[in-house]
Amino acid sequence: MNPAKILIIVSLVVFSITSCKKETTEIDKQKPEIIINIDGTFPLNCDTLYFGETFNVKMLFSDNFELGSYSIDIHNNFDHHSHSTEVTECQLNPIKTPINPFTYINDFTIPVSQKQYQTNLPILIPTENENGIFDEGDYHFFISLTDKEGWSTQKGFSIKILKR
Amino acid sequence: MPKINIIIICILLISSNIFSQNNNFHLNGKIVDDKNNALQGASILLKPINKGTTSNLKGNYIIDGLKKSKYVIEISFIGYKNLTDTILIEKNTVYNASLTTEILSLQEIVISDNSNEINKKQQSLNVEIVNNTYLKENMGGSLSKSLARLPGVSTMDIGTGQSKPVIRGLGFNRVVVVENGIKHEGQQWGADHGLEIDQFAVDDIEVVKGPSSLMYGSDAIAGVIDVKQNKIPLNNTINANIDLIGKSNNNLLGSSILFSTRKNWFFLNLRATYINYADYKVPTDSVDIYSYKAALYKNQLRNTAGFEKDFHLVFGIIKDKFSSKFFLSSVNSKNGFFANAHGLEPRNVNTQIHDEFSRDILFPYQEFKHYKIINKNKWSFNNLKIEADLGFQNNFRQEWSEYVNHGYMPATFPDSLIFPANLELQFNKNIYSGKIITTYSLSENTNFSAGLNAEYQQNMVDGRGFIIPAFTQTNYGIFALVKQVFSQKHIVQIGIRYDLGNIATESYNDWFLSPNETNISYSYLQRAEKINRNFSNFTYSLGYNYNLEKIALKINAGKSFRMPIAKELAANGVNYHNFSYEVGNSNIKPEISYQLDAGFEVLNKKFAFGATPFLNYFSNYIYLNPSSQHDRLYGNGNQSFYYTESEVLRYGAEIHSHYQLFKNIKLGFIGEYVYSEQLSGEKKGYTIPFSPPTNVLFNVKYSRNSITFVQKPYLSIDYILTATQKNIVPPEEITEGFQLINIRFGGDLKVKNSIVKISMQIQNILNTKYFNHTSYYRLINVPESGRNFIINISIPISLKIKSELKNV
Repeated sequence: MNPAKILIIVSLVVFSITSCKKETTEIDKQKPEIIINIDGTFPLNCDTLYFGETFNVKMLFSDNFELGSYSIDIHNNFDHHSHSTEVTECQLNPIKTPINPFTYINDFTIPVSQKQYQTNLPILIPTENENGIFDEGDYHFFISLTDKEGWSTQKGFSIKILKR
Repeated sequence: MPKINIIIICILLISSNIFSQNNNFHLNGKIVDDKNNALQGASILLKPINKGTTSNLKGNYIIDGLKKSKYVIEISFIGYKNLTDTILIEKNTVYNASLTTEILSLQEIVISDNSNEINKKQQSLNVEIVNNTYLKENMGGSLSKSLARLPGVSTMDIGTGQSKPVIRGLGFNRVVVVENGIKHEGQQWGADHGLEIDQFAVDDIEVVKGPSSLMYGSDAIAGVIDVKQNKIPLNNTINANIDLIGKSNNNLLGSSILFSTRKNWFFLNLRATYINYADYKVPTDSVDIYSYKAALYKNQLRNTAGFEKDFHLVFGIIKDKFSSKFFLSSVNSKNGFFANAHGLEPRNVNTQIHDEFSRDILFPYQEFKHYKIINKNKWSFNNLKIEADLGFQNNFRQEWSEYVNHGYMPATFPDSLIFPANLELQFNKNIYSGKIITTYSLSENTNFSAGLNAEYQQNMVDGRGFIIPAFTQTNYGIFALVKQVFSQKHIVQIGIRYDLGNIATESYNDWFLSPNETNISYSYLQRAEKINRNFSNFTYSLGYNYNLEKIALKINAGKSFRMPIAKELAANGVNYHNFSYEVGNSNIKPEISYQLDAGFEVLNKKFAFGATPFLNYFSNYIYLNPSSQHDRLYGNGNQSFYYTESEVLRYGAEIHSHYQLFKNIKLGFIGEYVYSEQLSGEKKGYTIPFSPPTNVLFNVKYSRNSITFVQKPYLSIDYILTATQKNIVPPEEITEGFQLINIRFGGDLKVKNSIVKISMQIQNILNTKYFNHTSYYRLINVPESGRNFIINISIPISLKIKSELKNV
């Protein structure tokens, strides 16, 4: 056998072995989930919240290994810029210029070693800040969830915040 | 003594002693390649007397005992284009020639590493060389796309026209792009824009796969894409070349016009390129952006239209022992981003406005201008060659999008700011570069080179977004390389290099107020503080080549490095395109990589086979690691991503083969495989981001000399099989495998004295819906472009200037 043939055979064998190498260590390749079809999930797309009142964020989080943390962001959608993740369309008010819109951003931890976690998080929406009374209208409720490995999932809902 | 460097000849008729009675003249000269390296073993034949010889190790030859007469000289060498000329011998005559690489076999399928081309045989790293013809036959939406068929080369894309080159799974700042000897500097770290290079202005490209810090300094960890504009017009000619291009998928129309002339030692090339394209089409009716469905109008990816406008001026002097060339260019482009998703963030858009015209560019869009001035000088003495290159570049890039008040930004944009509300990002970078390389031949078998390069960058930022701070960066490197040939079969190369670098970043504060922990007081958050870091690094490379007639072997071991970039050191802002809060680490060390490369090739008339395996270890691979945390204040509630160092092991190989089945039919095969694994850190066991999937390509090519009036007609079919990429790291998704069929065909038409070259392609002929794992839009499920018919017509026009020098 000449060296050329040997080289060809060796390289084909190496190539096929390396191409078929099976993973030896088990690593997590699944994103966590925000489950919104349990009883009493709140808020959902097109729901309404009220200034001066406290509402309860109720959602079920789930992951195959271990959950990480989550954050909630509420901001105005007076310009209909919408990054809703939901298929259903909500009835939006006409586009308007914000004067003193309400903004809420916070991050929350999840106790360690949880595969499932249900939030029971009260959030108070104040009626005003030092600039005056907050604007009523269309808002976005945006929630982001991670697992321990850094996989993440997001949900965005169109909501309204009104004065009762 | 006029000398023509590249495409054609170098004639030297020392003097003409017409009345000489001596009938025993000799003809001598030197045969070099297009890099001025001596070609050993080239065959020189004089007709009709059929007297010939071969060139020696220095490329020199001599034929004596010649009578005064007219002869036809034929110079040939495997891997190079044959050169035929008529010469008049009436005295002892010198005839030097420069041969160009014959890249025919590459056009078809492969040849690549370790082929019989001598300059590949003399390099210990694996190299792919392509020319302008290959680029035209394989032209994609961008230069990187046109190269993606080469084994081991792929792209990082956003849309069709914007892509960055990836070598064996590494891209961004780990691949150095060199244009005319000077490192191309843009915003290499960004995933959402392409390379600022006009692919019509490219004559030859050399792709070096493997650690190349030795010659190119920091960043050349994965390899180098060396782009050359080295065509010099024939003496006493005025030439024009008109390229026309059309693409059906995005209704692209473009043209590039070249004008070139040469009078003895002075030459001049002028080129203008204009390309305009509409939104590109994808084989799907809607795109799922985080389960938000965006319907597409007529399969068009809304707002991805754009244009490109480039100008080039090249001029210089070519003397026998000295050449000096100037390259001036301006590359400009404006193109839209997919309107329903700015980055990965879903957006509601007014579809009526967007769908009215497919050629308009609305928000969001990007614009860049890249100016370049390069001066390249070369002096050749007997045993000494000196090259000195100088460069200045300005890279100006803007991203425009409608103002959206993310996080704590004010709901209405204040009019007190100096930048416009819709300017999201702006980068303005000045780059000054210089390089000197001297090569000294101690003997026929020993070559010594040493060099120095330096670069200074000044980077300014503007706009409402913050990704990187302004910074200045300085790099110096000094290197030495020894090449020794033993008994004409063995070549050993040893090189060492030392680098010094400094990066100084500016501080940056938000332009808007954010509430503190208790929501009582507000402040302009400081995003970045001043950082001043110095780096030094020692790198080396050791290579060995063994060349037989039909077998070539090479092995190379090398160390490469990369200085951390401003983003890795000082990022501290929210990338709303990715829902990520990105945090740099000011203590990051320079990235170090050790790589072992091998290559072997067997080649005979009908059959070729080659393989290029590699093994690579990073002691600290730097990457953006998604954590499990969210951040309220600095991250505005987004997931925190930290720049992290981890040990990484990578290995893989490319194999290629072709077989001449019949006289006109050739079969080919290319396979690429890369495996990467993090050995330490939080993501231990995971791959690194953007790992390309295993890929194989089968090719059949039919070609012949002529069919009726068509010269060199060809038909080439590629069947591409790409495996599912399951090896992923957050936030990637598994990308399904796919099959693609691409067809290329064309030929040359003789119109009067010109040869009009027509190259056509049908890419994705079955209109397959598939995803590219390394596309920026992969995460929002934007498929790759659908069926695309491409036509490229190249029309040369050549005129001779009346010449008093011509004596043949």
